[in-house]
Amino acid sequence: MASAGERFGKRIRRIKMAHIQCGFYSPSLEKNANITVFIPTLNADDYLIGTDLHYGMEGGKYQTLYLLHGSYGGCTDWSLLANVERYAQARALAVVMPSGENSSYINMDKGEAYLTYISEELPEFLAKIFPLSTAREDTFIAGLSMGGYGAFRCALEKPHRYGYAAALSGGLDMQALQASSEEHMQKMPVNYGNAVFADRYHIEGTDDDLSALLAKRVHEKAVLPELYMTCGTEDFIRPTNEKFYSDAEKLGASVTYERAHGIHDWDFWDSHIREVIHRLPCCGDLKK
Amino acid sequence: MAYFQCNFFSPTLCFNTDINVIIPTPNSDEILNHKKSDYLSDGAKFQVLYLLHGAYGDYSDWMRLTSIEKYAQEHKLAVVMPSASNSFYQNMYRGSDYMTYILDELPAFVNSLFPISRKRENTFVAGLSMGGYGALKMAFEKPEQYAACASLSGAVDFTGIVKAIENGEISGPFRWNHIFEHPEAVEGSDADLFALARKRITEGRTLPRIFQTCGTEDFIYPQNVHAHQVFEEIGLDLTYEEHPGIHDWDYWDTHIRRVIEWLPLANDSVRE
Repeated sequence: MASAGERFGKRIRRIKMAHIQCGFYSPSLEKNANITVFIPTLNADDYLIGTDLHYGMEGGKYQTLYLLHGSYGGCTDWSLLANVERYAQARALAVVMPSGENSSYINMDKGEAYLTYISEELPEFLAKIFPLSTAREDTFIAGLSMGGYGAFRCALEKPHRYGYAAALSGGLDMQALQASSEEHMQKMPVNYGNAVFADRYHIEGTDDDLSALLAKRVHEKAVLPELYMTCGTEDFIRPTNEKFYSDAEKLGASVTYERAHGIHDWDFWDSHIREVIHRLPCCGDLKK
Repeated sequence: MAYFQCNFFSPTLCFNTDINVIIPTPNSDEILNHKKSDYLSDGAKFQVLYLLHGAYGDYSDWMRLTSIEKYAQEHKLAVVMPSASNSFYQNMYRGSDYMTYILDELPAFVNSLFPISRKRENTFVAGLSMGGYGALKMAFEKPEQYAACASLSGAVDFTGIVKAIENGEISGPFRWNHIFEHPEAVEGSDADLFALARKRITEGRTLPRIFQTCGTEDFIYPQNVHAHQVFEEIGLDLTYEEHPGIHDWDYWDTHIRRVIEWLPLANDSVRE
């Protein structure tokens, strides 16, 4: 019977996922927080064929994807409305799905420090509880819509923490979104916009402006995570993607952009999170 | 304080099952009251209490019907709460291997995911009613795995319980012919706690310390009085308590605190 140690580096053919709902006190949010987590665990074959339970992992850690919901959402969205568990299972990838309320995942001007929570507290906290790697090359972040903005914001704020960041239908031009008079933007919680930003109508050039933040990092010659963005060609939010991508091209930053047929909905996010997880540099097993 | 509701595939049971897990983490109470909050450091592990539900129940009972989370946080104790259906914590003759699941697989599973100590001195098991029986059964099955074991209002006189249910003196949801191949022959078998404890003593093995408590108005009280006598005769390291009370969650919420005070706790995280 191979020991857990001997199994490192070999691909586990079929694993299962443990689905975990967690509630805990978050010091950076100064309130209780909920997250949903998928962690790979052993499969039936390991047990039925072998004589051992194989749970021992001897210091092994899983690569981890932080996966962010959109506006109006919460920590159960991705697990309920897409098939992330199956896609992550196929790559032995742990997935952490936090709640960000409508914060845009930033440290709100008048509110909670979601950026600190997502990019610092959560990885450090969870590494003390679960077998999750915090190494840059093992840490990925992705999200949809507001969560796409959040994923790129975290990646550009803390480029040393993430190996890969993906925005699905991301709200990547925050200046335009906050100033928009279009109907869908008028439905966004106005009081939240006032709480999130110091001045929601003067975002251009600040760190809340992803293009400006990217320019800053490019000028600093920072080593950036791999950046991947995708958006539906019929999606109302597509212009913000075109704007960010065009800015990134002008800066000479390396960003992969894929346009695909679709609108701002879970059909698009389910099929494209599958693509994102397929693209992630996963080793397919625990890492020592 | 962090709680985890965890659904996972158990190869032993051959289906998905749920557990609740409590891990002490710094909370607002500790910050506001300037209590110790530096215990969740890198490499920290926690002492662990496996806590078993009674008949008709599941993994959620203890968290919903008592304040176990608060008590565990106060004492920096991890708590793991599994489900065992109405199996009486047996490897069922027609059914699933609940004893193997909780005795062997569950510790391996939670140790692989959570910061929980694997040492005997840090591992405890307790339960109520059917779970009180289950806790003692685990302690006697694998005495080298547990330092201490507690039964609250436990079905500790097993052959007495089987007879009392068959005579209609006590009600229960147990299908004995599903649980055992020969339900008429449980006396003296490994399902009989008295017989199993005697066997382990004869083998010269060190048994965990035992805590037994029962309400004096509980329908199961006479069986606990009898079991107390037998356990004393066998020579177990036994702490026995009885208090006014019946077979209800008031009793279990009150007396799980007594159990936690009785456990050999570090009241801090531990290192391995």
